[in-house]
Amino acid sequence: MIYEFRLPDIGEGVVEGEVVRWLVKEGDPLRMDQPMVEIMTDKATVEIPAPRAGRVGKRMFAEGQLCPVGKVLITIELADEGAAEGSRGGSPSRNAAEGGAHAGTGTRPAGPATSVAPLAGRGTAPLSPAARARALGPVLATPATRKLARDLGVDLRGVFGTGPAARITSDDVRNHAGGGRGAGAAPPPISIAREPGDVAIPFRGLRRRIAENMARSKHAAAHFLYVEEVDCTELVALRAQVNVRLAKDAPGRKITFLPFIVKATAQALLVFPQLNAALDEAAGEIVQRKHVHMGLATATAAGLVVPVVRDADTLSVAALGKEIDRLAEATRSGKATREELSGSTFTITSLGQLGGVLAAPIINHPEVAILGVHKIAKRPAVRDGAIVVRDLMNLSISVDHRVVDGYDAARFVAAIKEALEAPAGLWQEQAPRKA
Amino acid sequence: MALAKIRAGMGDVDSESVEVWSDEDEARATGLLQLLGPDGRLVGAPPKLEPALLRELHRGMLRARVLDEKMLLLQRQGRIAFYAEARGQEAAVIGAIAALESNDYVVPAHRELGAALYRGLPIANVVAQLYGNAHDVARGRQMPVHLATPRALRFIPPSSCVATQLPHAAGLAWAAKMRRDPVVVLAYLGEGATSAEDFHAGVNFAAVYRAPCVFLCENNQWAISTPASRQTASRTFAIKALAYGMPGVRVDGNDVLAVHATVREAAARARVGGGPTLIEAVTYRLGAHSSSDDPHRYRSEADEASWKGKDPLERFSIWLAATGTLDAAGAAAQRAAVEAEIAAAVEAEEGIGPPPLRSLIENVFAQPPAALEEQLADLERVRASAPASHDADR
Repeated sequence: MIYEFRLPDIGEGVVEGEVVRWLVKEGDPLRMDQPMVEIMTDKATVEIPAPRAGRVGKRMFAEGQLCPVGKVLITIELADEGAAEGSRGGSPSRNAAEGGAHAGTGTRPAGPATSVAPLAGRGTAPLSPAARARALGPVLATPATRKLARDLGVDLRGVFGTGPAARITSDDVRNHAGGGRGAGAAPPPISIAREPGDVAIPFRGLRRRIAENMARSKHAAAHFLYVEEVDCTELVALRAQVNVRLAKDAPGRKITFLPFIVKATAQALLVFPQLNAALDEAAGEIVQRKHVHMGLATATAAGLVVPVVRDADTLSVAALGKEIDRLAEATRSGKATREELSGSTFTITSLGQLGGVLAAPIINHPEVAILGVHKIAKRPAVRDGAIVVRDLMNLSISVDHRVVDGYDAARFVAAIKEALEAPAGLWQEQAPRKA
Repeated sequence: MALAKIRAGMGDVDSESVEVWSDEDEARATGLLQLLGPDGRLVGAPPKLEPALLRELHRGMLRARVLDEKMLLLQRQGRIAFYAEARGQEAAVIGAIAALESNDYVVPAHRELGAALYRGLPIANVVAQLYGNAHDVARGRQMPVHLATPRALRFIPPSSCVATQLPHAAGLAWAAKMRRDPVVVLAYLGEGATSAEDFHAGVNFAAVYRAPCVFLCENNQWAISTPASRQTASRTFAIKALAYGMPGVRVDGNDVLAVHATVREAAARARVGGGPTLIEAVTYRLGAHSSSDDPHRYRSEADEASWKGKDPLERFSIWLAATGTLDAAGAAAQRAAVEAEIAAAVEAEEGIGPPPLRSLIENVFAQPPAALEEQLADLERVRASAPASHDADR
């Protein structure tokens, strides 16, 4: 006769228990009260003793698996004497075949543990959760967070807590659940209704990567937007002079405003290294970069890419102009190397001719700031108490306020503004040539 | 004149201050009285106890120990819902109750099932209560281990609320004093209870009114997960007694002879109007707080191992064997008898089944009101139509 032992509520209201370790093998003789299995609930890890004597039938859950309270944990082939007794706390199987194909004999040789393989699908961790719990200490989390973790199927012992005293917050659980789902941090998939004529474009490749990066940045960084107005009247005049000279050397050759802006920004980054940085969350460190590698957000037919001007602070405005043109061409024609499209330490986003008035750019995560460059337009300005027409441009900067204070962001932009409003210095500065 | 009479009627309040805080008193409250060392060798004066009483002490401790072992297994097997062990504290539990007269009152904390058995409660009553079956006096209404006992036993049902038993004990003792009934009240408490407000209420009241009360604080080092070191800034728990104006005695709680002697002395003083005593029995909870607790989450196995070496039952067995009071064969026979007794009780009570459904509406109103009768009828109808769901819950 088969006795089915169902996991009891061993701790005042537990709903499931994890099989930490089996202490008996299938086919083993079993004494009354002999320890059978180590079970961990959210309250305690305990040994479950045999409620009946006999022989171990089937172990219904593998180590590492969760057995719900009330489900059959193990079957016991009762000795004849036990079969005659009534049962409480467990129930003899009405159909002995349910408990296994070996009913009634009691002489079946010890079966290998792998006979529970069909149930062992979820696999076992190399370090048992109990051992992990002992190594890491108790988990701190509120009941609401614990409930959320259960709902999302998140094991709290594997979650890094960002709250006080490493307390696990609900956000930590959600992040963990998101990060653990396959390759990206995609939110739960949403289905939408279609109408005839709607066009479906596969969401993959570059578009998918852009989406993931943007979402990660918006989710992780505390975006703080700051906007400043720059008087570019002198810059416009200087650029016109420069272009006249360039055209003399090589007809058709021109320089845009961007190299000046890159130069001013790269110089300012040397003064404000806290913006030329990245946040290493895993290590818990803010990494200030030695080099200034300027990413330039660039629109292509396929989508947004970011070619990188390496060591932008060491190049003159003229050299920057050439390098930017070269990179832009390589990027648009799809010939840019992987190296040229990665490794930025700070990013500038410019919409070129369109430019706009204001934007709230999304930081190129894990960098900590991004500068948005807008249209230079003739607008009225007040100078010496009189309204005059000037060439004005707005700069929008988004900083990760977790790392960069608003005051530093403002001072940084003020430094760029100062350089652009007196652009002769930018143009004349002869940066050391790269080796 | 009138006032004096009223005061006398309230039980002779002694307003003169009690002189207790001598160096010797302080030494008793901060030292550690021990008669039997951890190795089972006598370190104090030999006790003047009858061999029969010594064997009875051993049997009492053994019954508590085996009951714990067996009931915890039943809980893990899902046969009872909950259990709380006293393993490691048997000397404090049994040594104290054995020092009382049979008509003295006992106000237990949470781990004194062994004391109830020592008083004469049949093991079957305990098992019935753990199963919450039809034999249970409270008919399954109380959490397991919180058992009601026959009134004649003078053993108050335990409450889960920490320290609430102490004002009860002081009140019982004060009432006895007013009735000029020469009984003593033994109140068990844990060291955690000394941090609860009712400790002050009960202990202070007993001291002011010189109530015949013995407070036995089982300092088992752990209030669930709070260590004794976090429980008080006082030097010891016993020294708190001196501030209340009563003697405090610190004793090895794993030494049944020392506990017995100390409680006997305190009870004798209380019985003749000497007022209460606070005894700190230094012991250790070898098991978990309850079947729902896992002590390895908050204390080390090394800590437990060091206390296993001071096991109260083992040291007493060694001494009993050495003095020829109870040899190994006698102890083995005692154990076999206790195991059989418990096995028989489990076998008898496990099949009894739950109290009748009707008991749900009984024992509160002399005559259950019509509304309750109606609800019961509804319940019976539902149950009759879906018997399977009830079985599935088992």
